[in-house]
Formats: sequence, structure tokens, C-alpha cells
Amino acid sequence: MRGVPRARWMAGAAVLALSLAACGGGGGGGESSGKTGGTFRLGIVEPTAIDPYNAQESEGILVAHQLFTGLVDVKADGTIVPKLAEQRSPNDNCTEWTFKIKQGTKFTNGEPVDAEAFIRGWTRAAKKSAASDVAYHLAGIQGFDQLQAGTTQTFAGLSAPDPYTLKVKLSQPDCEFDLKTYHTVFSPVPKVAGEANNKQYNDQPIGNGPFKMEGPWQHNTKITLVRNDDYGFEKAKLDRVEISILNPQNADQLEYQGFESGKFDWARMPTPQLPAAKAKYEPQGQWIGQDTNGMNYLLPITDNGPMKTKEARLAVSYAIDRQTITQGVFKGMQTPSTTIVPPAFKDFYQQGLCQSCQKQDPAKAKEYAQKANLPPGSAVTLAFNTGGGHDEWVQAVAQQLRDVLGWKVEIKPMPFKELLEAEQQPGATGLFRFAWGADYPTPDNYLFPLLHTKSINKDASGKVTGDNRSRWSNPQFDQLVDKARATKDPNERKKLYQQAEKIAIEEMALIPLWNRTQYRLANTKKFTNLELDFNENPTLAQVALK
Amino acid sequence: MGRYIVRRLGQMVLVVLGATMILFVCLFVLPGDPVGSLGGDKARDPAVVQELRQRYGLDKPLAVQYFNYVKRLATGDLGEDYTQRRPVNEILAPKVKNTAKLAIAAILIDIVLGLFAGIIAALFRYSFWDVLVTLLTTIAIGFPTFVIGLLLQNVFALQLGLFPLFGTEGFSSLVLPAVTLAIIDAALVARLMRGTMLEVLRADYVKTAIAKGVPRRAVLLKHVLRNSVIPVVTYLGISFGTLLGGALITEAIFNWDGIGLALVTAIQQQNNPIVIAVVTYGVAVFVVLNLIVDVLYAVLDPRIRLA
Repeated sequence: MRGVPRARWMAGAAVLALSLAACGGGGGGGESSGKTGGTFRLGIVEPTAIDPYNAQESEGILVAHQLFTGLVDVKADGTIVPKLAEQRSPNDNCTEWTFKIKQGTKFTNGEPVDAEAFIRGWTRAAKKSAASDVAYHLAGIQGFDQLQAGTTQTFAGLSAPDPYTLKVKLSQPDCEFDLKTYHTVFSPVPKVAGEANNKQYNDQPIGNGPFKMEGPWQHNTKITLVRNDDYGFEKAKLDRVEISILNPQNADQLEYQGFESGKFDWARMPTPQLPAAKAKYEPQGQWIGQDTNGMNYLLPITDNGPMKTKEARLAVSYAIDRQTITQGVFKGMQTPSTTIVPPAFKDFYQQGLCQSCQKQDPAKAKEYAQKANLPPGSAVTLAFNTGGGHDEWVQAVAQQLRDVLGWKVEIKPMPFKELLEAEQQPGATGLFRFAWGADYPTPDNYLFPLLHTKSINKDASGKVTGDNRSRWSNPQFDQLVDKARATKDPNERKKLYQQAEKIAIEEMALIPLWNRTQYRLANTKKFTNLELDFNENPTLAQVALK
Repeated sequence: MGRYIVRRLGQMVLVVLGATMILFVCLFVLPGDPVGSLGGDKARDPAVVQELRQRYGLDKPLAVQYFNYVKRLATGDLGEDYTQRRPVNEILAPKVKNTAKLAIAAILIDIVLGLFAGIIAALFRYSFWDVLVTLLTTIAIGFPTFVIGLLLQNVFALQLGLFPLFGTEGFSSLVLPAVTLAIIDAALVARLMRGTMLEVLRADYVKTAIAKGVPRRAVLLKHVLRNSVIPVVTYLGISFGTLLGGALITEAIFNWDGIGLALVTAIQQQNNPIVIAVVTYGVAVFVVLNLIVDVLYAVLDPRIRLA
């Protein structure tokens, strides 16, 4: 038995960053400079799935997005690029959408990509037997619940009046439904895909994207993609993409070393090595830094315990010195945040929205703590997940709360699954570490799941099963979001969402900490058009040899 | 001896059953839902959680779950994992192979290097070679594995480019991780060999043999080596078992897709079918190796009887 306890002990002792899974999709637009050819090499960690029915973390989405092209694509800055949808139009109250699909494109096995291919793909993912983690993106379509319950095998809300017209009936108004189809779960699939548990297809999906698989997924070893020369849009320039699969324990270290030794053309780096890497690679133009669609928060439990009042949450926000932590712990590689929706959503972003986030203000913090009836000595817990590289900043935040407010802050480190479970428990109280990334370029993807009353979704035992873990509920906010969802005019809609965000910030429904900024090394000596896409992956479909 | 082996194999079944049962209970006690969220902060859809609980029988009482597990185990089926939903056998087979490759390479280096250095040091006690062996082994033992691994990787892969930086492909990728794993053990083997050999060299039967005029070579081979090697075999047996259980740090440094990494990742994801499978495998390996070591004793020293 010796080897086993030793390995288990190491598991506990090793502080290793699990790559945090961001959900969403990727994609770039179509500049067309550069030469055709070349092999682009990079490392990822083993995805859960590359088949669009269940592709979920950025790694799985990275692959699925190269293999499949859906109705629309999104640029890194959130601009929509129409792909297979030549026309996308809602009815007046946005409960029914009609997509006109580009004719004459094919899957790599020759099958046509038509409306039926979309219906096939969406139905396949939504069925009960698929038990897909991303199927909930389809939940707004009529008939989803019946499919999930297993009482039917067809998607009631989907129809094809003619081979290249897709009609989608929604159960609630949603004027941004077309943006959601950017997620890879909305991919069309060919007939050979079969059911979701088709192991052969799961490992070697046949799609209609800019690349296709060269042989099946070699689990934990590599995935190789080659250009799809029959692609229905502007063809990719790269001949091949070689994706090495690295272990999650030290993947960023391996990527960094791989880049330094010329094994990779793209790499993440371990946080402590960011300043050194920047100093070395920025002058060579091989350094990419970009605000992405992710945010970090403290999650206050608002229905119970010390964080129940708005004043208590404001006290916390005023007590935190975001500047010092981003400069100290993050070496200036993250920026303090003042909003719930990230600055990556340029058109929407309301800079400086959160007053209490601007700078640390001990006097105001104490004042609010008093109003909240939380004098020095009050007990507050701060829970976070270990192994994600959070230890240092959590310690710093806790110390600031102790110093400024005199609270007894108890830090509770725990494994990730335990943390999620703790957040959901009926009796949860205090503060939790929290982060969120968007799946599609719309503020709704923050405001609805995180803060709408419908997203609390308590089960019979009082456990929160939705993503609104703070349990914050505000009828005025709900009303604004609902109204925004049913508003066709983009400008009007934006204003409504902005008003909603303002209410949430005033009430400190979530306590903003820092924006998610991502850094990558990129081999710009050999390749051009390299960018981070909406999902923090390289824009492979537009990369070309210099 | 045949009966002895059969009895030991019978015991092995009991040990494996006991270990899996303890593990089942431990995993059951752990907080967190094994089919709860996979990663990221997004909640898993309750409908999906329910479907998976049903599919994997997690809605049944622990005793029933365990019984079903043992029933499947008897047919060699380890079930399906909870994340990728692939058969555990299919997931673990290449990892066991990789770890075995690494372990065999490392143990061979241990035997060759360790025994050789130990014998030289003992035979030429207090000579330059003895001092050199003592010095080198002290340094080797003092270094943690991860320092050795990173050092070797930096010098031989990054700077000199002689070996691949990491990966599991080809013989050349095996060299650095195997050496990393072997260095400390080889040093310990050398120390052990030197010590026991010096002791045996002083033993009466060796003196008698020499006094009787048996040639030095014959004395060394027949008496000294054979008797000195017994404690070393025990050590190598345990060490090989540990190596076969997977070497997390070395595997991580060289991205070696082995059983150690699989276990850590599975523990973090609470992917219980993988955790149980790896631990069961680890227990089986140790029981078998212990048996082999015991049998080797009897071969090396006929006074030791197996009963």
C-alpha cells in the first residue's frame, strides 16, 4: 500500500493550478493576409469532450469550434459575424426566430449542411440520454423540458419549412437568441453523428468547420487538425494544428517551457513568471495581453447571515484595497474592477459604476459596518477553493477586512466541488470566492444567470440549484432584465440592461474584485493574425504564415 | 511452494476486497457531489445530475453500490468514469503501460547503478572510489525528486536539447524521467549494498571459505553477493511497487501520462471510478510484488522456508 498513500499525500500537498474552465466559444473574423501552410503547435489540458453535444471548457470548445461552424461567429471584441445564417430575424416580440441558411455547404463527409442538420444537432444534445452539461443553452426553445424529461425524442420548437429555413419557437421572448447560437452546442451535425453516446464520433467528430480531425483524439496525448479544403467560407491558411495534451497539474509551466524551447507557438504562463516573461517577450512583439470576458467577485450570501444587508456588503467593498492586491499579488497583471459586466463588452461597459470599488475607504467601511450592525469582533467566513492559485489574494482580502473592520474573518479553504456544494446549501452564509465567464457576447449572460430571481431555483430542500448563488432578488431588477430580453431595438435593450446592472451594483449583489486579463506568448516571428478569441483561445482559422 | 503461492493469492483477493471497501466508505464520506459541477463556477443542470446519478447507480445505498462494483470487478469491468464517460479500463490501460515502462526503466537503473556502486565501495573500502560513492549518494539523497527532475530537464532538454522536453513518445523521452526517478533509489541501494556487503565480508562463513582456500572470485559470487543482496531485494521490491503506483511529481514534470497523474486529477475531480480503480490496482501490485520478494528469498537463501 505504500505507493498509494504517498500519492494521495502529494495530491494534497502540491499546490497546482487547475485551469479554470471558461465556457463559451471562439472565433475570429476574416482578415486574409499571410501565406498558406505551416503547422501551428500548442498545448491544452485534456478536454471533457470535443463533440459539440458536450464540449464545455475553453479547451473542448477550442477543438469543437475548429471542427464546426454554426449560424453565427463572434469576434474577440464581441462583434457578430454571420456564418451559416444569411438572415436571422425575430418576430415582433422575439418569441420566434427564422434563420435562412446558406446553401451549398457540406460536412467533410459530403453530407449537406441544411436546416435538418441543425435540428439534428440541437435535438441530439438536448435529449435526456445525452445528459449534456451544455444543453441548458438550448433551454429557451420550446420543447426542451420534454426532451430533458425523456418523454419525447423530437424538439417541438424546431422546424424546417423548407430545406434551408430554420424556424425556432421560444418559450420566452429573447431578442438576443441569435447571439446564443454562437455556442458550439448549437452546431449542426451530420447523420453519421448518431446519438450523443456514439463513442466513435465523440473521439473523431465529422463537422463543417475550417479544420477537420486527422485521426481520432489520442486521449491525454494529442489531437491533430488539418485544413478542411471544402470549407464553405474563407478557408483556413494553416495546414495543420498540433494540439499536445498536457496534464492539468502544471500545464501552464509546460506550455511556457514548450514555447521557450520552440516546441509550441502559443503558450500560457504560470502567474509568478508573468513579469519575467513579459520583460523578455514584449520587446519582441510576442506578448499578447487582453481583457477577456471574465470577472472575479466575492460572492455574498444575501438571504442569510452577516452579508444579508446591503450595508454589510458595502462595508466589505469599501474595506478592500483592490489596487494594492492587483499590484502586489498579481504584479499588476490584473486590474481592479468596478462593474459586474466586464470591460471586454466595450459598447456596454459602464466604467466606474461601483463607487465603493474605486479605492479603499476605511472610514466609509466602518460607517457601513456600523449601520449593518456588524461591530468589530463580528464573525464572517470567507470560503475559497484550494489548488486554483487563490490562496494569496484571499489571505490579503481577509487581512484587510480584519484590519479595517476588526471582524473575525475565518478563511475556509476547501476542494472545488466542496466549495460549490457549500455555496448551494440552504444554510450557507458569509463570503465565497467567485468568478464568471460569458458564453456569448451579451450582458444578459452575466445579469440573468447571476442575479435574476429565476436563477436562484431552490429545490425542495432549499438548496440553490441555479447560478444565482448570492440568492439576491430584486423585483425591479428582474423586471428590467425581462423587459430587455423582449426589446428588439439593440440600443433600448442596452439601456435597460445598464439600468439593471446599476441596481445590482448599488445593492452590491456581487462584490467586484478584478477584471480577468489574459496573457499569452505567441510566435509572431513565424505567424500572423494571432489573437485571443472571445473564449481566450488562439484564432486558428485566421492564423497564417508570415 | 505451489500451495504457498495459491494461499497467498487467496489472501490477495481478501486484501483487495478490504481495500476497496474502505475506499468506498471514505469516498462516500467526502463532501461534494461526485456528479456535481465539473469545473468552472457554473452549476450543473439538476436534470443532468439526476440522469447521471441514475445511470451510475449513485442513487442506490452504499452497500448496493459496493456490491455492484465487486460484481463488475470480478468480470474485470471497472465501470465508466464520470467526466468523459468512457470505460475506466480504456482510460487506464495506456497509463498503466506508461507507468510500467517508467518503473521498469528506473528499477533497472537502480539495480545496475546501485549494486555496482555499492559493491565497488564495499570491496575497496576507504579507497577513492568508496569516498566518491559516499559523497555522490549523500548529494543524491539530499535532493528532492522535483529538483532533480527540473535540473535534468533544464540542462539536458532545454539547454542542450539532447532529449525531448516532455512527452510520452519514443525511447528518448523515457530517459530523463527514468533517471530522475532512479537517482535517489540508486543511491539508497548503493548505501544498502555497501553496508550489508561489508557485514557479510566479516562473517565467519566467509572467513572459513577463504581459510579453506576457496578462490576469491568464488567466495564473492557464491557467498558474499548472494547473501548481501537479500535486504537489497526487499528494498527494491518495495521501491518497484512505489514506482508502479505512479510517481506524481516526475510524471507531472515530464508530462508523462501515467497512473500517478491520473490519480491526482481524479481525486481533484472526485472522479470516483478512476480513484477506486487506481487504488485497487496499487493494492494488487503490492500484494503480487510482496509475494515475488518472498519467493526470491527462498531462492537466494535456502534456509528461508516458505510455509
